[in-house]
Amino acid sequence: MKFLLYLLLALVVVPFQTTLLHYLSVFGVRPDLGLVAACLVGFLGGELDGLILGLILGCFQDMLSAGDLWINVVTKGGSGFLAGLAGRHMAHITPAVMTAGLAIISCLSSAVFLYSLNPAGLDEVWLGVRSTIVVQAGLDAAVGAGLYLLFRQRWSDDRMVTEGTL
Amino acid sequence: MAISRSTYGTRRLAFVLFACLLIALFLLPSQSQRLLQYVGGPLGQVLSLPLAAFSSVDHGISETWNGYVALQTVHEENRQLRRDIDLLKGQNNQLRESVAAAQRYETLLNFKQQAPSQTVAAQVIGRDATNWYRGMILNKGESDGVRPEMGVVTPAGVVGRIVKTNSTSSVVLLVTDPNNAIAGVVQRTRDEGIVEGTSNGRARLKYIPLLSRVQAGDRVVTSGLTGAFPRGLSIGGLTQVEKSEGDLFQSAEIEPEVDLSKLDEVLIITAPYEDAEAAQKLLQEIHGDRKKP
Repeated sequence: MKFLLYLLLALVVVPFQTTLLHYLSVFGVRPDLGLVAACLVGFLGGELDGLILGLILGCFQDMLSAGDLWINVVTKGGSGFLAGLAGRHMAHITPAVMTAGLAIISCLSSAVFLYSLNPAGLDEVWLGVRSTIVVQAGLDAAVGAGLYLLFRQRWSDDRMVTEGTL
Repeated sequence: MAISRSTYGTRRLAFVLFACLLIALFLLPSQSQRLLQYVGGPLGQVLSLPLAAFSSVDHGISETWNGYVALQTVHEENRQLRRDIDLLKGQNNQLRESVAAAQRYETLLNFKQQAPSQTVAAQVIGRDATNWYRGMILNKGESDGVRPEMGVVTPAGVVGRIVKTNSTSSVVLLVTDPNNAIAGVVQRTRDEGIVEGTSNGRARLKYIPLLSRVQAGDRVVTSGLTGAFPRGLSIGGLTQVEKSEGDLFQSAEIEPEVDLSKLDEVLIITAPYEDAEAAQKLLQEIHGDRKKP
């Protein structure tokens, strides 16, 4: 059941990302909703949920991206998994923690992309960091924190869905 | 807020799953790519429905916005004028190319009159899913005869080349992406080079011979020596030529002819030459002519 839910979520998030999200771009950089969704679910649902959703989102994103077919699968799956690991070690998740966590994971994910592009020199690395990684991390963190605040009631203790029913 | 606790079993399962995925991708890259491509076929069809829905919303929003902000009549007139400019740019470029070719290769004039390329019109329905590639999603896919490596153009010039396809859509890598490489030639001096995208969203003509007299303002067109594009399609104009001491080649920055941020419709070149044999002959003749003193 949860798998179907994640599939539906991916079918909404990825087309939204590719068609409408450019209206929210800052300096030509858009937030990565796939990464945000995988991280939120990972933080709050656990490693397996984060990983599964990340893999589905990554697979869809790879189909609509000019990059290699593996890169989004690995980065989104890894982000969900990593968020799940991080969430397991926290007693309470606050918006501030969520923001910082998302920013860090976004930077790590972007670093994989940058590495895969084989930058010619330090100048290109610095350009990638300055023009994309930092901006995207900020946007991902802001969107993630916003969504968390918006839906925090849904994730209150009594409504928490335990992992393992996937 | 408290978080849910996953059991040791599910944690281990997640870890094993992710580790297996990484191992498969790094040890068997081509097989796993093929598997992902195979899985992507039916998923692409599923994905095409929400993609089309969101795309129509996007078009609706931009249409409404442009209509209200710029007034309907002005917007329409502007759009018509832009279309005319694009067409005229294309025609102008073809004429220039024809003149240049006539001056140098009189014998090849007959080949220049050959039938135009076969193309498929497509609509831009989205942008690349990540921020790391300059790509666009088109609403035509394998079912329309679109295949990877096909060229994408507008009447004004070159847009990019197809890198991924599924049954209903395809992804085009723009000429400004650093991963793209197109064989180009400077129209005035006939110096060949490779056009690659740059990190700052422009393009660069690389490997220009050191003794070449290229200069800012020269126009770069496709050389036709690679499969995706026929000869003479405009890529852009040179804005700055760089010649560093000790380098074996010159390079030059190109301002792309097509405004890639405002693309709505494009043409996919499904066959760069109507007659493949004629194209082959043309290439042979070009090479033969160069060998003559």
